[in-house]
Amino acid sequence: MEMNGSPQNSAVGVQISNGSHESLSLRERPSAGVDQRVPQYNWNPSPAEVGGESSADKLQDLKTLPMRMALKKAIRQVRQMKVPVVSSLESWKKSKTKAAKRFLKVAGEAMAYAVPWRRTIHQIGGHFGGGVQSYFLFLQFLVVLNLLSSLLMAGFVLTPSIVFRSSSFVNSSDAQNVTGKTSSRIVTVIVEFLTSDVHLLVLRFLVDQQECTVYSHSPQGLIFFYQYFLDLLSGTGFMEYSYLFYGYYNNTMGVSMEFSYNIPLAYLLTAAFYLIFCLICIIIRMGAVVRIVVKTGGGAVGSYSRQAFTGWDFGLQGDRAVKLKQNNIRYQLQMDLEEERIKQHAASLTLAQTVGLYAKRVFLNLIVLGLIGLAFYAIFKAAQFSQTRSGGTFVDLLVEYLPSMVITAANFVVPFLCDQIALLERYSPSTTVILALLRAVFLRLASLVVLLFTLWSGITCSGDLENTDCSICKYNHKQYPCWETHIGQEMYKLAIFDFITVVVVMVLVEFPRRIIVDNCSCKLAQFVGRQEFVIPQNVLGLVYGQTVVWIGALFCPLLPFVNIIKFIIIFYCRKLTLFQNCRPAVRTFRSNSSKIFFLIVLLLGWILASLTLIYSAAKIHPSMGCGPFRSLLVMWDVVPQTLHTLSDSAKEFLFYIGSQAFAIPLFIFLCVLLCYIAALASVYGKTVSLLRTQLKMEGRDKQFLVKRIEELSSVRRRKTEGWNEYHEH
Amino acid sequence: MGTTASQLPKDLLSEYQVKRSLAHKRFTELVAKEDRNNPSPRVPMSKILTLPELKSNPFRKRICHVFSTSENKDGSLTFEDFLDLLSAFSDSATLEIKSHYAFRIFDFDDDGTLDRGDLEKLVNCLTGETDDTRLTPEEMRQLINNILEESDIDKDGTVNLSEFQHVISRSPDFVSSFKIVL
Repeated sequence: MEMNGSPQNSAVGVQISNGSHESLSLRERPSAGVDQRVPQYNWNPSPAEVGGESSADKLQDLKTLPMRMALKKAIRQVRQMKVPVVSSLESWKKSKTKAAKRFLKVAGEAMAYAVPWRRTIHQIGGHFGGGVQSYFLFLQFLVVLNLLSSLLMAGFVLTPSIVFRSSSFVNSSDAQNVTGKTSSRIVTVIVEFLTSDVHLLVLRFLVDQQECTVYSHSPQGLIFFYQYFLDLLSGTGFMEYSYLFYGYYNNTMGVSMEFSYNIPLAYLLTAAFYLIFCLICIIIRMGAVVRIVVKTGGGAVGSYSRQAFTGWDFGLQGDRAVKLKQNNIRYQLQMDLEEERIKQHAASLTLAQTVGLYAKRVFLNLIVLGLIGLAFYAIFKAAQFSQTRSGGTFVDLLVEYLPSMVITAANFVVPFLCDQIALLERYSPSTTVILALLRAVFLRLASLVVLLFTLWSGITCSGDLENTDCSICKYNHKQYPCWETHIGQEMYKLAIFDFITVVVVMVLVEFPRRIIVDNCSCKLAQFVGRQEFVIPQNVLGLVYGQTVVWIGALFCPLLPFVNIIKFIIIFYCRKLTLFQNCRPAVRTFRSNSSKIFFLIVLLLGWILASLTLIYSAAKIHPSMGCGPFRSLLVMWDVVPQTLHTLSDSAKEFLFYIGSQAFAIPLFIFLCVLLCYIAALASVYGKTVSLLRTQLKMEGRDKQFLVKRIEELSSVRRRKTEGWNEYHEH
Repeated sequence: MGTTASQLPKDLLSEYQVKRSLAHKRFTELVAKEDRNNPSPRVPMSKILTLPELKSNPFRKRICHVFSTSENKDGSLTFEDFLDLLSAFSDSATLEIKSHYAFRIFDFDDDGTLDRGDLEKLVNCLTGETDDTRLTPEEMRQLINNILEESDIDKDGTVNLSEFQHVISRSPDFVSSFKIVL
């Protein structure tokens, strides 16, 4: 083994140093023999350094050093001559941690293989950039989420229902239970009758109760063939009384030897658990993204140097991909520089100009609010109108789909108008994008709220339970004999219509646009140009679709299944349109901060869905003619009823948890924990800024010392020169 | 030293961490016919740049220069240099190795720091070398001022290795973008 210590050979410049890694050297003249660019290796560490490390650590050290292979070979041979002393406990610990790390790595790789479309998304990222890739990653996340939740639903609700319906050991029947409940009501009422003298009222009450349980779902009369197709689209007819909707499930409780399964309880708890599971997944994903954003400092600070030093992807091959990446980088840099210029310009405006600009912005915002209000009113009117009609003809189908059509039309038109208005507002580019997103989100989710409100006012007679329609059954049984199925149908229709819109727009708008732009050379075609993949609108479409599924989960248990198929087909449609019709995006998208925004919007949708679920389960009287909760006052009652059948100690424990004696101390404890974590976070933030200042200070100290050395050496040189001169003469 | 490629003992293979056989195959394809009998052939830069992984890379010439061990600085690579290259760009190289080599690749004048000239050449490589893809001189000046303001901590007008590594450490996807796989 030879050590090449010759100073002239700069490629393999090894310097025997005396225990320090860095040598303070003048920048202008690196001293001969020390190659600044090659890291120094400490050949002779002091005994203290040797004793503290085990061999595994040192081996790791070698792998991280950026040196030539030949050098590493030499170092390794030298190391093998030295035998480190390490205790057996430490070596066992080290081997265990190494094994654990290897296992985690393999598990991580296996998990990465389990998710679908990994390679396709990677390919898309290479061709179209990170922004478009984040859309497809979001879609992949939603598909996996829906898949897991469908498995939940299938396992706990669907399979037992199928089993109990077809097996013979069901001992509590379905239809009889209703009359059983009614008969018990009759008994209670008769007792009251005997003790009071309102005979006629009671008799009428008995008759009316029977009315509430009437639910005719089989189609009457002659059915045309296309009726089946219409039924498929609107969830009526043969689809209504099926596992798809709430009305088909029974309030059975299957009992065999020691095993009992309460379907109503399973139904409610599965729906609740499904929503909680989705919430946990969203929060986990948000946590991962937030950690990245915090680490990179929010993307604002240090972004120019980060873009310059880490912007290039060395794995790109081919001229096309390279040119695309260069275009993206250039556009990003130009956009950032322009934003900075706009900010500086805005800071330099006079007072009068600033006031004028703000007044213009307020006025334009009012116009936007007016547009959105107009859209809401249109949706409200359309929903009201469609509730009044129901039938089997094609026109009636159109009327039934009217709310969905108006919502989709509003979601096309209003954002487009808002975009035009935003041109006048003259915000900086990033603010414009965020504002457009906020408006579009507001529009989409609030239009859902309007639809739900219309449904609610129809079902509960606008909350007025003394209304003639609602007084008997506590809900509008004439119009909605099975109101849960009706809500499920509305959500089903929204989902289907959304899907049809995507496919139709792709076929009728995007492909012809590309054909026209490619083949026709007129000015208009070139001006319009090929389509660009607009990420925010597409992501909001996904969030809207997922919110609809969540709202409908309680009323249409198979909706997650339908949604999986819908999202898979949408994935392939979007991929097709991306590769065939879209030009590479000139405008790139800041993926990290927008990922958080998309997840926040998804969370808003989740909140809307869970509020709907809680309200329906706790306030509205379930239909008496259908569904697993037909004998209860509210859906939630099945839980207290089951709790009463538990053992005494379990009951006591659960009551204690639900009581105030437990909740208030828990709340206080959580507040204390929150304050502690907030204090910890602020301390860490202060430490980070302190360290940054320290780093700056050290740099300045170094500079100062270098200058001093220079001064002193020049003074000494002058002195020696002067002395030599003196001695010469 | 000077062991040939085929005589490297097996226990040192772990240090290379690349698919050696594939690398050897691709490398020998580039060796000229008359050099085949040479125990450690040296392939000129022009041949290395015909590899599809490097052909369109704007930093291809700098990569060859950084990993080359030739005495006359012509960017030619031996098989060991080639393996060094692949190892630095592989999945298992750490952040420290990658940032070190990235710094050397971006240091166009090889003086150990990134000064204004280096940064300007770097930005031109990133955006494209042709006239209509460059930034305007005004934009370039603004950009380089911003870069130096953000990353030059000791305010000496250049970015040295530790400042560079400080910027790199805050970027989570550097390790996955500084990757070449055969």
